[in-house]
Amino acid sequence: MAITKLIADSLGAGATPNQSAFKNIIINGDMSIAQRGTSATGVTTSDGYYACDRWYSQTDIGTWTISQSTDVPTGQGFVNSFKLDCTSAGTSNADEVMIRSRHEGQNLQYLKYGTASAESLTLSFWIKSNKTGNYYVALGNFNTTQNRVVSFGYSIDSANTWEKKTITIPGDTSQGFDNSNVENFTLFWLFSAAGAFTDGGVSNTWINYAANRFANSDLAGLGGSTADEVYLTGVQLEAGTTASDFEFLPHDVNLQRCQRYYQILGGTALSFYQEQYISGSSIYITGNARHIVNMRSSPSVSLTGSWVAVNMTGSSPTFTINDNNFTTYWQGGSAGRALYHLDGSSTLNFNGEL
Amino acid sequence: MITEVEKIYFNDNFISYKMIKNNTTFQVPLDEANTDYQAIQEWIADGGTVIDNGGGE
Repeated sequence: MAITKLIADSLGAGATPNQSAFKNIIINGDMSIAQRGTSATGVTTSDGYYACDRWYSQTDIGTWTISQSTDVPTGQGFVNSFKLDCTSAGTSNADEVMIRSRHEGQNLQYLKYGTASAESLTLSFWIKSNKTGNYYVALGNFNTTQNRVVSFGYSIDSANTWEKKTITIPGDTSQGFDNSNVENFTLFWLFSAAGAFTDGGVSNTWINYAANRFANSDLAGLGGSTADEVYLTGVQLEAGTTASDFEFLPHDVNLQRCQRYYQILGGTALSFYQEQYISGSSIYITGNARHIVNMRSSPSVSLTGSWVAVNMTGSSPTFTINDNNFTTYWQGGSAGRALYHLDGSSTLNFNGEL
Repeated sequence: MITEVEKIYFNDNFISYKMIKNNTTFQVPLDEANTDYQAIQEWIADGGTVIDNGGGE
């Protein structure tokens, strides 16, 4: 049988697409992609994306180093984990320490949420911490009509030991996911939380959104000691009621999935080189490039490093940006040769994250 | 934390915002799905003042 026929059969009628390729809703669940760099130190309340792509950190107590670690569970095929390491202590459970994974609703329509056929989900992950005790995961559906949340508990039983956790989540028959490209669905791993997230207790079933139903007040709480740390890897969320083996993707596929949300241009000498001979100062030198992959939205752009400019006016170009390309406009100086490019290892960073 | 937002014009058209956040400068497109754009709208709603020097080219 031809290979194309086999693929067509496996992905075609009778097969649920997410049961074969791309069954894992989580992107970069093996923590192998870290476009922003492998470590960020001194992180406090500037919540955002550090180290591993697609993983959002909230560290509202203490000071943290957030990194892509090579500490992984033995014999599982993982190379990296996501690590939060407390370097200056605060008061645990006085505020939030959590990791989030955010998703577009347009990728989740096949779950049939909001119908009687809503699919169950199974979340599996590997975790390790110095601190044993009770921890919680919450899932939020940020539907424009009615936000929903469900939360579950799990325990870390042995200090400094990798443990695999599996949680099955019933489908929500009451509320679907918006079919859009904004943050519709988010998973929260809570490691510290104040009463505003815990005083209603864990829900164990989908309910109308209430922040105080994310966890119980017995949350173990990290961030109260510089010994506190947590590692996470092998995160998989899939349709169904059982956890299957982790879906390892080729590096290029995993990277491109991340680049929908964040991508970098440059990093080598003479990147994005633009040159013209101009007739006078009213002339703009324009440059255009296509994004590596289409991005989720029109991204923001920032510069790491500096531009090299010869016979240009001002210090940087103006950008027009959309989800598939960008254009730079930079006014030249006097008549003659004018040019600009990124300096050395400088980069343009395009952020279309959720 | 956002500390400064300025309207960016090209050929007299308002095309984007310049935003300074956590000491980094971003150019932010006028796309409601962009989370930086959303943050700017919240910052404005909370009383932030956008610098507007007009087009004037």
